[in-house]
Amino acid sequence: MSQSVFHDQVIAILPKLRVQALALTRNRASAEDLVQDAVCNALAAQESFIPGTNFAAWMHRILRNRFISNLRKRRDTTDIEDVPAAALATDAPHEDRLALKELSRAMARLPADQREALVMVVLNGLSYEALAEATGCAVGTAKSRVFRARRQLEAWLLGERPDAGALADAPAADAPGRFAGGRAPAPL
Amino acid sequence: MKHFAMTRPRQPAPVAAPRMPRDADAVPDAAFDLWLQRSLHQLFDKVAKEPIPERLLRLIEDNRSK
Repeated sequence: MSQSVFHDQVIAILPKLRVQALALTRNRASAEDLVQDAVCNALAAQESFIPGTNFAAWMHRILRNRFISNLRKRRDTTDIEDVPAAALATDAPHEDRLALKELSRAMARLPADQREALVMVVLNGLSYEALAEATGCAVGTAKSRVFRARRQLEAWLLGERPDAGALADAPAADAPGRFAGGRAPAPL
Repeated sequence: MKHFAMTRPRQPAPVAAPRMPRDADAVPDAAFDLWLQRSLHQLFDKVAKEPIPERLLRLIEDNRSK
C-alpha cells in the first residue's frame, strides 16, 4: 500500500474511531485524546500494516489497545460518568429526547466491551469477523457481546427484569476484553 | 365486504422505545433493533460528523510528507 493510500485511509476512518472512542471512554475530551493517541500509534506502526488485510479492524484494534493501556495508567482519573450530553442536544421532540436520554443512560450501564461491540457493528458497520479481529476475541464472542448488549438494553428499556445472563462474562476467549474501567451495572 | 388481516400490520419503527412486556428469554425484537439502530445514530452521529481537529489532520499530513 502506498503511503498516500495509507494516510487517506487513516483520515477516512477518523469519524468511526471517534465513535468507538466515545463508546469506550464516554467522555468527549478523553475520546478526542484517545483518537489522537491511536493515530500517532498507527502512523508509527504503519509498516506493520499488511496491505490487503482489514484496515478498519487494524485501526480499531490500535485504538482499543491504546484505551486499555491508558486505563491501566490513569485508572483513577478516567471519567466514565460524562454522558455524551452534546449528542443529546438534538432538535428531536421532547418524548424522543427522553427516550434518547434513557437509552444513553442504559448504554452507560452496559459493560464497556458490550457497548463498544454494539456501536462498532451497528454504527461503524463492522462485520462480526472484523469486530473479532479488532477486539482480539473469537467471532462467537463478538457476536455474543452484540447480542447481549441488544438484549440487555431491550430488557432495561422495556422495563423488564434484568437479565443476569446478559451481564455475565463471555467465554475465556473474551480476555482481555473486559476493561478494568468498565462500569458495573447497577441493580434495577 | 371488507376483509381484515388476521395479523396486525407491522408498524414503522417507533421513536420511543416500545413498552410492551415481552418474554425475557425471547430473542431481541426486530422493531426494537430498528429503533435502537436509529436512536444510536441520533446519539452518536453528531459527534462522528464533527469536523476533524486541525491539529490531528496536520499530524497526519506531516507524517505523509516525511
